[in-house]
Amino acid sequence: MTASDRDRTDPGRAEKSHESAVSAIPDGGTVNSPFEVVSEYEETRRDRLRKLYDTYVYAPISIIKRDWRAQIGFTIVLFYVFMGTIGVYLIEPTYVTEGPALAQPFETWEYPLGTDDMGRDLFASVVHSTSEMLKMILAGGLFTVTLGTVVGGIAGYKGGVVDTVLSSITDVFINLPGLPTVMVLALMLPIHGNPYLIGVLLTIASWGGLARAIRSQVLTLRQEPFTEAARSMGVPSHQIVFRDIVPHLMPFVIINLTNAARRVIFSAAGLYFLGVLPFSNHNWGVTLDLAYSGGAHYRTGALHWFLVPMVAIVGISIGLILLGQSLDRVFNPRVRARHEKKFAESQLEEVDPDSDDDSEPMIGAA
Amino acid sequence: MVTIGWRLRRLAQALFTVWAVITLSFAMIRLMPGNAMGAMMVRFEQQGMSPARARELVELRLSLDPDKPIHTAYVEYVLNTLQGDLGTSVFHNEPVVDLLAAALPWTLFVLSWSIFISFFIGIAAGALMAYWEGGKLDVGLTSWAVLMGSIPFYVLAILLLIFASYRWGIFPSGGRQPTGVEAGFNITYIRGILYHATLPVLSMLVASGVASLGMRGNSIRVLGSDYLRVARLRGLSDYTISTQYVARNAVLPMYTTLLISIGEMFGGSIVLEYVFNYRGLGLLLYEAFNQRDYPLMMGGFVLITIAVVIALLIADMTYSWVDPRAGGQNSDSY
Amino acid sequence: MTTSQSTSLDDPTAADPVVEIRNATVRFGMERGESRVLDDVSLDLERNEIFGVVGESGSGKSMLASAMLDAVVEPGILDGSITYRPEAGDPIDVLGLTTNELRTFRWEEIAMVFQGAMSSFNPVRKIDTHFVETLSAHDYDVDEGMERARGLISDLYMDPERVLDSYPHELSGGMKQRTLIALSLILEPDVLVMDEPTAALDLLMQRSIVSLIEEIKEEYDLTILFITHDLPLVADLADRIAVMYAFEFVELGPTEEILQHASHPYTRLLLKSTPNLASPIEAMRPIEGSAPDPVNVPSGCSFHLRCPLADEQCVEVDPEAYSVSDSSVSVTGSDSDSDLSPDSDATSIPNSDAGDHVANCHYWEDAPETIPMTEEWDVEGIDAIDSAPGPSRTADPLVSMEDVEVHFETEGSFLDFFSEPDTVQAVDGISLDIYENDVVVLVGESGCGKTTFGKTAVGLQEPTDGAVKYRGQDIWDLKRSGGDGTMSFDTVRRALQIVHQDPGSALNAHRRVGTSLEVPLKRWNPELDGNDRKSRIVSLLEHVGMSPAEDYIDRYPHQLSGGEQQRVALIRAMLMNPDLILADEPVSALDVSLRVEMMDLMIELQEQFDTSYLFVSHDLSNARYIAEKTGGRIGVVYLGELVEIGRPEEIIHDPQHPYTQALRWATPEPDFEGGGMGGESPIREIDVPDPTDPPSGCRYHTRCPEAREVCTREHPEPNEASAAAYHEAACFRTDDHHEYWNSPSITDGGD
Repeated sequence: MTASDRDRTDPGRAEKSHESAVSAIPDGGTVNSPFEVVSEYEETRRDRLRKLYDTYVYAPISIIKRDWRAQIGFTIVLFYVFMGTIGVYLIEPTYVTEGPALAQPFETWEYPLGTDDMGRDLFASVVHSTSEMLKMILAGGLFTVTLGTVVGGIAGYKGGVVDTVLSSITDVFINLPGLPTVMVLALMLPIHGNPYLIGVLLTIASWGGLARAIRSQVLTLRQEPFTEAARSMGVPSHQIVFRDIVPHLMPFVIINLTNAARRVIFSAAGLYFLGVLPFSNHNWGVTLDLAYSGGAHYRTGALHWFLVPMVAIVGISIGLILLGQSLDRVFNPRVRARHEKKFAESQLEEVDPDSDDDSEPMIGAA
Repeated sequence: MVTIGWRLRRLAQALFTVWAVITLSFAMIRLMPGNAMGAMMVRFEQQGMSPARARELVELRLSLDPDKPIHTAYVEYVLNTLQGDLGTSVFHNEPVVDLLAAALPWTLFVLSWSIFISFFIGIAAGALMAYWEGGKLDVGLTSWAVLMGSIPFYVLAILLLIFASYRWGIFPSGGRQPTGVEAGFNITYIRGILYHATLPVLSMLVASGVASLGMRGNSIRVLGSDYLRVARLRGLSDYTISTQYVARNAVLPMYTTLLISIGEMFGGSIVLEYVFNYRGLGLLLYEAFNQRDYPLMMGGFVLITIAVVIALLIADMTYSWVDPRAGGQNSDSY
Repeated sequence: MTTSQSTSLDDPTAADPVVEIRNATVRFGMERGESRVLDDVSLDLERNEIFGVVGESGSGKSMLASAMLDAVVEPGILDGSITYRPEAGDPIDVLGLTTNELRTFRWEEIAMVFQGAMSSFNPVRKIDTHFVETLSAHDYDVDEGMERARGLISDLYMDPERVLDSYPHELSGGMKQRTLIALSLILEPDVLVMDEPTAALDLLMQRSIVSLIEEIKEEYDLTILFITHDLPLVADLADRIAVMYAFEFVELGPTEEILQHASHPYTRLLLKSTPNLASPIEAMRPIEGSAPDPVNVPSGCSFHLRCPLADEQCVEVDPEAYSVSDSSVSVTGSDSDSDLSPDSDATSIPNSDAGDHVANCHYWEDAPETIPMTEEWDVEGIDAIDSAPGPSRTADPLVSMEDVEVHFETEGSFLDFFSEPDTVQAVDGISLDIYENDVVVLVGESGCGKTTFGKTAVGLQEPTDGAVKYRGQDIWDLKRSGGDGTMSFDTVRRALQIVHQDPGSALNAHRRVGTSLEVPLKRWNPELDGNDRKSRIVSLLEHVGMSPAEDYIDRYPHQLSGGEQQRVALIRAMLMNPDLILADEPVSALDVSLRVEMMDLMIELQEQFDTSYLFVSHDLSNARYIAEKTGGRIGVVYLGELVEIGRPEEIIHDPQHPYTQALRWATPEPDFEGGGMGGESPIREIDVPDPTDPPSGCRYHTRCPEAREVCTREHPEPNEASAAAYHEAACFRTDDHHEYWNSPSITDGGD
């Protein structure tokens, strides 16, 4: 609430509204009242498009532009996406004895990051691992967030028996220890190195935490006056859930999406490192495994064999954390409003721009 | 205001989870495509045994009779498991329970130190960040925390192995106890154990990054609260304020995070112990996987799950003791 | 419990200030420029007085409280001087104290009670540790101190052992607030600063606490600075009052002077804008405009933008404090030695204290004439006024509730064999008919079930027993059966709407005003296209004074003021074209001066849209304002039961139920005529009984001053309370032949 808002209230207003009062309206479907007095409101398609652009394109980009975390995070993630999509066409896949064994990094343009003990180009190997990793991240992240939000949302909004059943199932999954479960399932199920299936498998034990958190948030939100008002207006439940409740959960969901993505990378690389997941292509975890079994930790001149996949793993996680921390601001109406063109000039927030930055980092949540 | 009913309900829920996990493991052994029982039968037959002999062996190993109707087999399996009979390891030819019981203390030893130290660091760093919010220290520590959060523990483990062990030779590259020293309560042995556990524990400290960010947020919230302002006006000493007001209220939410991370760390111990060749539960499980030692594998899985269930049960049950506001209405504390 | 008779004005030993504030200024540097949130305030707080500071939210009154303890929050900068004069010893320059000295000074000399008692205690520690740690931090003897704590707590009508052994969350709001008062007095300070100590509480609790403050002040020899937005409340308590506007004092004087001879236009307008029980509703007028922003305080007199008297001089020259008694001579507030003015003009200066009455207005002499307190007011007074005729209540009711019960079971069903589930009887057998164009206002303490009952009436809460009928149809039957052809649940849903107490949370924070307002139109007027909807919304917004509406529809709720948010919520309900609107405390979240305006708007919309209202309020003055203006009824709810209902004339001036009388007592009234009010507290217990275990018989018997033995076992049914129409009460005393009159009283030995 700002002073400028208040000042708009014209002091002589109450009298005016009394004058304009028109006779009472008959009860019925249509309203014949001062409210019917149609003001000349005309909005063209162009206006509408401009508003949509303002809301969904201009404001988010401008928020991101102002936040260094978002900038770095976006750049990193985009870089990986570029590697995984276009990069694979630019860089030839590598093969055994392509180059000398254990060539050092940053020495030739041919093998910019060096080679492993079989002469495979580590740079090409990293690039060609990316797309598979991105597929796992995508599948795992979406699976966690979708299942967690849907199960938690339904349990919280419906309540009763539905809630009891869904919560019990959720509790079982919360209690499953992540890595061992995945290992056992990977052994039993015919997943054959399909990256999407692996992504889902890796998050099988991690959607429960999100579902539980969402449930308790929904329990609170459904008591909020604005959802009660929507109910009293006869808005159907699914619309209340998706238009009134879900937007309030978005920052939380976004943080959890990036957390799930990070978890997928960590678990995938870890399990490939152990050599317990089936694979068809090399990836960062497999390279780690090969390096470890190849004795790179005690051989001289083999350090880069470890470091290259490690940097690849750590790099994308940093990108995801930073992105997660900053993206939730995009869903904060206070921040949004400040960044929309229309109000950019008229904004007189009493507080400094960072005071609403209560988006405490939640990378450990759920 | 915790009701007895709420505690009972929570206990029932934990039992339900244990039951579900046992059922799940039964299903995996028995029903899934590529199930354990089938795979073992095939293996024994390939080793030249008669089908009857193979069946007999499988029954012995899995404590599961393949000929019995599935529901009877299921009931037996559940009962056996609950009585602690998890079958016999194929590879070690010993009861699974004995193997697990021998390995568990080593893993618990490493994990409890890891958790204790990483939360200690996390809470301290988070409190510092919150106290100097927006300052250089805050920015520095936040960046450190983000970096820590981005490093998988096994990456740190490998790096520590390379440098602290192979390159600089400060710590042993593997194993869990000193060689040539008699096990027991003597200084050399205990020092040796600590020495061997150092690198695994250090690797797990990446968890402190996440913890410190959580602590930072909590502390900032508490620092802005009304009761803190009143406490300052009442002239309480800085010590009382920081311990009884800020720390207590900010650490509370960390409590559940801590117990949840026990579950994750148990899972992580598989990779960790593999890297350091540390003979604990994780390495045992890893070997069971590689050798397709199904009884040991499933037994370890059930054991770890029960450990997590118990950890979370303790978390819920004791939370009301730590936080007087929690209780019956709030079963969502984690 | 007894209350001291009206505040005595026995002159506190004049010119013995305990705290002298000179030119206190608090500044904050902001991006938009420097803001002064306390502007050059000077004040002498006399020893053993109760000094009231009145101001609306954002007037800087809380900053004054912080300044007294040199506790302005960072990054605010406090200038000026504050001198504390202990009874014995040298004066202390508060702003010159070192950190350690300040630590000792606070709470030992000046202590403070905050508005936020709910959050003033460490949630994880028991109450007694709060006392112990305060005592030991100041090196007081703990045993002796705890003895004093027990005394204080029982002086505040609570059980010391129980309170000390509780965690903060286990105490009710009123108990927490009283405990906080005890905590503030534990080190025996000389001065107590109370910042809105009762704002979050019910009227009855507020009034009880105010009485306790008077007692405590006498007993512990205190000087109290009482800060509030509620002029009538403090008028009942304070010896002197200062009115704050735009971060400075605009008027200061003895309470009676301020009430009877208010000389600053703002004070006069504020008095007029506050709904109360005594003045006729026609006299209540909102103050136009809104308070200034701390960065852009208007030049000259900060009130000139809203002042009916303002002219060039007001724009250019910041008025000094004009002494109201001694015309045209400018004096400062501290200049009190000259109160020798003879009683020359007895009509305008009733007593010598008027010498201390100052107003910061160039035209203070003209103010009473330009802003009369009694305009259009038939001097015959209160008895002559009569409320609007109201609807005919002979036709079929619009909504009728028959013996409605709502019982909530507290958590603990599944597997809970050992504990009997507690049942909160939120609503316990209320019957009420609401007619077309009718207005019913429910009043009662919080937790008495009035909101739950309201939600039941509009079909948002399913009753556990009894029936809610809309035009003769049971709405929950209708919902389950899906309608019988003549009416569907959709019709009911559309006809019954709600407006919430907190406008901020009633609007979806993620949706713009326009989008929020489109919801009812999209749902119920599918024939309208986007532009039609927008047009209708725009004209509605303009109608309620939110223009330019095109600008408002693109805003998010947080970009609106509280009053604007409430208007949007109101429009949203009106767009449904409903028959009945539940308005749940619609004005209590707004500033005092905006309340009358909002109530007027609601009444106006009621006439235009032909709806009925069910208001919920804890404030009898607001209830009376609405009911009298619309010809409605007031219903009094206590612990889930409707104990009295009737037209405002009867409820205000002829209340029959002792509980209604208590509410009436609790409602503060500005006393323009002099004479004072107050009197004995009509309740025996301050705290409401536990709703999970309500008292037997008449539920009010535990607090009722008239309770007799029969009340503990027999439950009174509503019956005719007086000759007036629609007046019913559930009390045996309305029946002249009831056995009550022969039953022994239970109050004699009572507490």
